[in-house]
Amino acid sequence: MASVMLPVEPTPGFSFENCRRNEFLKAKGYKAPVATKTGTTIVGCVFADGVILGADTRATAGSIVADKECAKIHYMAKNMYCCGAGTAADTEATTALISSQLELHRLNTGRVVPVVTAATMLKQMLFRYQGHIGAALILGGVDSNGSHLYTIAPQGSTSKNPFTSMGSGSLAAMSILEKCWKPNMTEEEAKKVIRDAIAAGIFNDLGSGSNVDLCVIRKGSVEYVKPYEKANVKGTRTGNYKFKRGTTEVLSKKVVPIIIEEEIVKPISSDSQMDTS
Amino acid sequence: MATERYSFSLTTFSPSGKLVQIEYALAAVAAGAPSVGLKAVNGVVIATENKQKTILYEEHMIHKIEPITEHIGMVYSGMGPDYRLLVKRARKMAQQYYLVYQQEIPTAQLVQKVAMLMQEYTQSGGVRPFGVSLLICGWDKGKPYLFQCDPSGAYFAWKATAMGKNHINGKTFLEKRYSNDLELDDAVHTAILTLKEGFEGQMTEDTIEVGICDASGFRRLDPATVKDHLANIP
Amino acid sequence: MSILSYNGGAVVAMKGKNCVAIASDKKFGIQLQLISKEFPKIFEMGPHLYVGLPGLATDTQTVHARLKFRQNLFELKEGTRMSPKVFSSMVSNMLYEKRFGPYFVEPIVVGLEPDTYEPFICNMDLIGNVCFPEDFVVGGTCEDQLFGTCETMWEPDLSPDDLFETISQALMSAFNRDAGSGWGAVVYIIEKDKVTTRHLKTRMD
Repeated sequence: MASVMLPVEPTPGFSFENCRRNEFLKAKGYKAPVATKTGTTIVGCVFADGVILGADTRATAGSIVADKECAKIHYMAKNMYCCGAGTAADTEATTALISSQLELHRLNTGRVVPVVTAATMLKQMLFRYQGHIGAALILGGVDSNGSHLYTIAPQGSTSKNPFTSMGSGSLAAMSILEKCWKPNMTEEEAKKVIRDAIAAGIFNDLGSGSNVDLCVIRKGSVEYVKPYEKANVKGTRTGNYKFKRGTTEVLSKKVVPIIIEEEIVKPISSDSQMDTS
Repeated sequence: MATERYSFSLTTFSPSGKLVQIEYALAAVAAGAPSVGLKAVNGVVIATENKQKTILYEEHMIHKIEPITEHIGMVYSGMGPDYRLLVKRARKMAQQYYLVYQQEIPTAQLVQKVAMLMQEYTQSGGVRPFGVSLLICGWDKGKPYLFQCDPSGAYFAWKATAMGKNHINGKTFLEKRYSNDLELDDAVHTAILTLKEGFEGQMTEDTIEVGICDASGFRRLDPATVKDHLANIP
Repeated sequence: MSILSYNGGAVVAMKGKNCVAIASDKKFGIQLQLISKEFPKIFEMGPHLYVGLPGLATDTQTVHARLKFRQNLFELKEGTRMSPKVFSSMVSNMLYEKRFGPYFVEPIVVGLEPDTYEPFICNMDLIGNVCFPEDFVVGGTCEDQLFGTCETMWEPDLSPDDLFETISQALMSAFNRDAGSGWGAVVYIIEKDKVTTRHLKTRMD
């Protein structure tokens, strides 16, 4: 009913109106372009007081580095974050959608949403799309039952692990985790293990690169460090490639001034007069 | 279809040009528990009576004041079940807006959407208008907002208002007490005083609910804080 | 051949000091045949907001029309101008809606944020994955070349005039090595108080 009289917001859900045209173009021999992949190393592990998630920051489109500093650790809820690998838009959209549903769930139930609920919502959504939504996720969080870490594959299968890795650099990262992870590590130890695992991905997997991002989730607090370490700093340029003004030949030039007809400045007094008696 | 025969709108004009169903809905609101809302310079307050007929009732389990987003809250006068549906829909609208624009919904936009939903229920088949009026308070970009939404789909922006039982007395009281430079704590005080007008029996932290919204977002005051505020009232 | 290079075209945007620039070529071709030398790929969406839509020409125009439609509804309804950030979220959302049957465009959004006049640039892939880099964004058929030229020529805190030279030279150097784009170029420099549009003299072959 809402859609009939409230057409302003686009209808929710996917639209398939271009599919037939795109199939036709494909049949004519025009390849569909590649979407940005994360081409990622993402890891997570449980330590004594919570969960640590880690990620690299490279996004690739084919063999081109599309983004050198993308954020792969997504906010889910105040007590939960989620690393995403696979098709970048899918990880972004899936986590945003479930995060929104978690917030509704939190408001409707009036309590902190358990991590297992988020894992279930994610797996049910991904299973419904049979792997066509290419999101491989690592979900970590702390709730009233303790610390939890889930791995969620694009087809919707999940596993609950003490440590895990995903993405194209998962093998490199797993080698470090298998060697170094111990139960009940301190936060500092765990950070080191996660950093090393991500660094292994960055330096050994071509799909991963740039910086190390970390997210530490403890009971009641979250520390999102971006970047935790700049593994690859761009060298300083010695030459100067600035062009002399007037180098470029201009055929025509038009300047459109932006005239501000009205400017209202409202000062907000910062001295809070709130009576706290 | 057989069901279609009875699915015409119940909200039909009377010969004198009135929509009596809407007037009945407003009557349901006017008979409901009173609620008030008040804007201050540094926030908004909404408050309502939550009095129960029997001592067997478990207090502080079911709330009348509900958060919609981090910075928007809502209360009602009228029918509880209708209200809960609106709360759920409002929360969903706010989340949908956030997913598209990655920006919190402005209070005025949410109010408009909720009002549009309420209007639909006055013109659709097989449904009845909502038996509630809503007070929606919010804080965006450093400014407080207070709106009222009626079953007809009409909405109003207020500095201060009262709804439900005794709302006329409440409004008269607010007209006398309201000033533009009220601080949030004074506003809470005034809101409680307005509820006290015509309050039957003892007003305690168990029989009223208060919600406030300021730069740090919307929150329902816990009974202990309400008790502190009540202690300041003669 | 990828469908993104069927019509050809390139767009690039850069951040400067208190200003942003967006530039594109003007070619509209069908495979190796040139059809027009006056095909706009950059559109004004507000005084401080521009969007570049390199890709399949039919989708450039469709996406522009649909974006304008949604933006107009938003602005009429809310009574405020859309900020670049909100606008790019909307673009991303619209593209992801068609995740399984996408438009073949890779949008670039540039502008100045309202109130602060903070420079804003971002680009997306065809299904709406957004990047917010600190330096420059590129898109279109000579994307690879543009990455190279921009990576060497761009430097932080360029003034509007220097930014114009840098973005123009980066674009021209790139599309001179690409058969799929070129034939004239247009550069917009967006500042707090004015927008300067320049049409460049380029190779026409």
